[in-house]
Amino acid sequence: MPRWGMVIDLLKCIGCYGCQTSCKAENATPPGVTLARVEVSEVGSYPNVSRVNLPLLCMQCNSPPCQSVCPTEATQKRPDGIVFVDAEKCIGCKYCMIACPYGARYFVEDVRGYFGNQGLTPYEADGYPGHRTGTVLKCDYCRHRIDAGMAKGLKPGVDREATPACVINCMAKARTFGDLDDPNSEVAQLVARAQAFQLNPEFGTDPNTRYLPAGRSVAPMETPGARPAKE
Amino acid sequence: MPVAEKPNARAAPKGGTNQWIPSSCSLCYSNCSILAHNINGVLTKIEGNPKSACGEGRLCAKGVAGIMTLYDPNRVNVPLKRTNPRKGIGVDPGWVEISWEEALDTAVRKLKEVYDRDPAELMLQGTTTCASEMHCGLFTFAEAFGANAVWVAGGGLHCGSGAHQIGGLMHASWSLVPDFKYCDYAIYFGASKGHSAGHVANQNAQLASDARARGMKMVVVDPMCNFAASKGNEWVPIRVGTDGALALAMCNLLVNDLGIYDRNYLKQSTNAAYLVKEDGHHLRDATTNKPLVWDEANGAAKPFDTVAANRMALLGTFTVNGSKVQPGFQILREHLKKYTPEYASEISTVPAAMIRRLAREFGEAARIGSTIVIDGQEFPYRPAAAIYFRGSQGHKNSTWNCVAMDLLNHLVGSADNVGGALGFNPVCYGHPETGWPSYAPEPTPDGLMITGTWMHPHKPFPANDASAPASLGMREFFPWAMTSPFYGAADREKWWDRFGIQRRPRVMINFGANAIMSVGNKDVVADAFKDVFIISFDIFKNEMTDFADIILPDTCYLERLFPSPNYPFIFNHPASMGNWSWPIRQPVVKPVGQRRDFLRVMYEIGYRMGLLERMNSAYNTHFELKEPYRLKPDVKYEFEEIVDRALKNFFGEAHSLEWFKENGVMNWPKKAEEVYWRSRAPVRVPVYFEIFQTTGEQVRQVATEFGIENEVNYQAYQTLPDWNPCPSHECKDPHYDLISFYYRDTVHTNSLTLENPWLDEAAQMNDYSYNIAVNAATAKKKGLNDGDIIWVESNYKRRVKGRLKTIEGIHPEGVGIAALAGHWSKDLPIAKGKGVFYNELIEVDYDHLDPGNLNMDLCAKVRIFKA
Repeated sequence: MPRWGMVIDLLKCIGCYGCQTSCKAENATPPGVTLARVEVSEVGSYPNVSRVNLPLLCMQCNSPPCQSVCPTEATQKRPDGIVFVDAEKCIGCKYCMIACPYGARYFVEDVRGYFGNQGLTPYEADGYPGHRTGTVLKCDYCRHRIDAGMAKGLKPGVDREATPACVINCMAKARTFGDLDDPNSEVAQLVARAQAFQLNPEFGTDPNTRYLPAGRSVAPMETPGARPAKE
Repeated sequence: MPVAEKPNARAAPKGGTNQWIPSSCSLCYSNCSILAHNINGVLTKIEGNPKSACGEGRLCAKGVAGIMTLYDPNRVNVPLKRTNPRKGIGVDPGWVEISWEEALDTAVRKLKEVYDRDPAELMLQGTTTCASEMHCGLFTFAEAFGANAVWVAGGGLHCGSGAHQIGGLMHASWSLVPDFKYCDYAIYFGASKGHSAGHVANQNAQLASDARARGMKMVVVDPMCNFAASKGNEWVPIRVGTDGALALAMCNLLVNDLGIYDRNYLKQSTNAAYLVKEDGHHLRDATTNKPLVWDEANGAAKPFDTVAANRMALLGTFTVNGSKVQPGFQILREHLKKYTPEYASEISTVPAAMIRRLAREFGEAARIGSTIVIDGQEFPYRPAAAIYFRGSQGHKNSTWNCVAMDLLNHLVGSADNVGGALGFNPVCYGHPETGWPSYAPEPTPDGLMITGTWMHPHKPFPANDASAPASLGMREFFPWAMTSPFYGAADREKWWDRFGIQRRPRVMINFGANAIMSVGNKDVVADAFKDVFIISFDIFKNEMTDFADIILPDTCYLERLFPSPNYPFIFNHPASMGNWSWPIRQPVVKPVGQRRDFLRVMYEIGYRMGLLERMNSAYNTHFELKEPYRLKPDVKYEFEEIVDRALKNFFGEAHSLEWFKENGVMNWPKKAEEVYWRSRAPVRVPVYFEIFQTTGEQVRQVATEFGIENEVNYQAYQTLPDWNPCPSHECKDPHYDLISFYYRDTVHTNSLTLENPWLDEAAQMNDYSYNIAVNAATAKKKGLNDGDIIWVESNYKRRVKGRLKTIEGIHPEGVGIAALAGHWSKDLPIAKGKGVFYNELIEVDYDHLDPGNLNMDLCAKVRIFKA
């Protein structure tokens, strides 16, 4: 059984919001719901300052606090590590939203579209009925893609069809997805790096979404084929 | 249409259609290749097309969000005509619906009037957001009609005239990027290449992130710690508009202090060795008129093309026939000496010690003399690149700023060599089967480089001789200008009168450009448009269409067919090694309502005007059609057939429109000598600019004929680069103590995407897109707090209001405003009132243009205070 995980390289992320919109497009989330999002902040003081782009989504915790507080077992954790909400069982009590320390959960108020009183676009009319009003939505690593892809014999993290939408879309190639328990997977190898970290490990939730730091030192490698100047 | 089933979150169709249709994005001019998921006729997802080098399967936020532009309920779906004859900002045009027949009849009648009277009184205006269709539609019609007043997005603040001019002159391309795959040290001047905006945004982002992870050092010179600077190893805050001074000081250090310059490159690939007389012109051979160089082997002046590079003198003073002559490089070397780090520091605020360090780092990183083997061939290896774009080039001193920054590449020999600064695809040897497209730079008789291909009918070099202007844009008098902002300038009438130009703009065809917002101050531009009959193709009613007389409901890029969205390759095709890709654009859904495609309608208008033969001829030229695919003079073609002929003409009979609809994209591998062409090309670029001096002499002569020689600014017509101040630097009124600037936002393109609600949502989630960024210490001194609503007022008393965001990552004198925001049209409910309309602060007149390339100055001297 795989254990799905994602590594986001903050050195590569350019804060373009491509993850946010591709998630939105894939999952047809209503206004205000951004299952993948980017937080932009500044660190340092002039002139030694930098802007930090922090892409966020569900951390897919190994010990998900959202699950234990759910009174109806709507929030479930699959054997492959994916934490998801069974909308049929969700009563919209929002306990999980309070319990999640990463702000990864959203309440679907209604199916009001982006154009308000002008009505739903054909896209929204097609996609929004997939969500239940009065329930909680969260990122589930696009499990529909993983499941359908695997059913076709595809490999999540390798084959586009079987990989979360935000990962395949990332224009800075900052996101890597795969089986953390497979030592040959790219994610496992990235996580094995000393610098890989979990966001707020002190929460004790043991996330399967991991990060590589923006400020890590990268030593230039010698370029193959280069010949020095002839004196 | 091709069918490749893919699951997604939405319900699977029951017996309906389920197609992934390959096409091309057009929410910016990068035109990345897309796959559009059409389920039962509804577009449900846009992904990148992994088969194409134009994006390799990835998209920016805008590209993904195109669904919401397609389905925006505010789209125009029927032709409209104005009933209120009064035009003005905030004046309701009184739109009423009309039939396409009435719309076309009116358009043709108005166009015929101006055609019969004077075709040069027609203005054609288009948006860079849809650059490919814009170029096709406007230039074919202009050619057929005999019009010459074409301006691109108003030729205004958002145009990169300087970067394109110098990109064309020095790299045979529209723009520059680091050779990300090999570059070790990239210094960016006011550019965001690879950080989500600009040409080839998507592919560059992928390459740039790989480069950072590989260890490429990136130093970003910018007034704001922005998209590129925040990813760089070092942010160098600089006073707005002074990049040129910094670059010249670096050049000075390389040449005069460090002695780091690539002598072989300068001799072989530039005019550095060409001898210059005391009058500034080259010493030429009496018989052939070729520029002469000093042959060190036998101590004589000889035509440049008869002397081996290693024998040419770069330095020294020589006497030929009793006259003193010097190689251009000797003169450049002396000229640069005044740009001491201390002097540049005073101008730019960048510490002198830092300038010294940057020059040394850049020079050493270039590894002058080293080579590298790629695909079995040895090339010069110069892994250092100086990159400039929108910000640094967008000033009154645009020409010389660009030359100064680019000179860094030419001094160390990194231009279009491995690891250096690459133009976008100046060389292509064509598809292996048809050999098309095939182009490469060629030399003038002087040995200087002419681009192999270009975006406009007229190449950037050689420039035409300056002559008395008769056209509305007056580019005869400004032969180095890519586009002219004079159509909408405050002093247009003054300049037309000076030259006795009687013609005036009577009719305008507008393709999707919002020039009321995109040029500069809205009132200045509005005044220019109020008496013009405007036929506007648009997908929304907006601030520009408020001035239109007829709106024709256009299709958007997802409803349109076009055979060549990524050609010319010098514009929006990835520059590095990899594949050549030729995608098409095709409709991914059926157009709603009565929307009709701009290109088809323009062709129809041409036909109805009796210009069929000329339209077909213009299309033959535009798509370079050869027999048997050339359009016949007397046949009216369906647009599909023109596209089909174009594609077969490019790639052979088997590669028809049907083939492309099915396959989406055609690929073939790039050759190393296409990407790294510089050391193989028999062309040189100037590091000494006799070419500008010659234009200047012609300009002065014309000006003298009209008695206006003292009204003309000749600063662009020197032979060597200088840093010259912007009007904002020259304003000495102590009340105006800051310099405002605009920058491209990551989630928005021009003014169009502000109406897209997904992008608006993203923009609202950060502190930058819609706010006014000011240094926290500066704000504190003024008693202003984060979140205050403030006025930004220029020294010309123009004002914009917005929310203050105090940040650390901005120069203490800078006021940074993102995007082309601040829409006020009620017809754009998502966009209305979001962000700040920066252009309100921008003067549109000769004094705020580069006097050579007519690039507008993007900065303004301002004060800020609580609203």
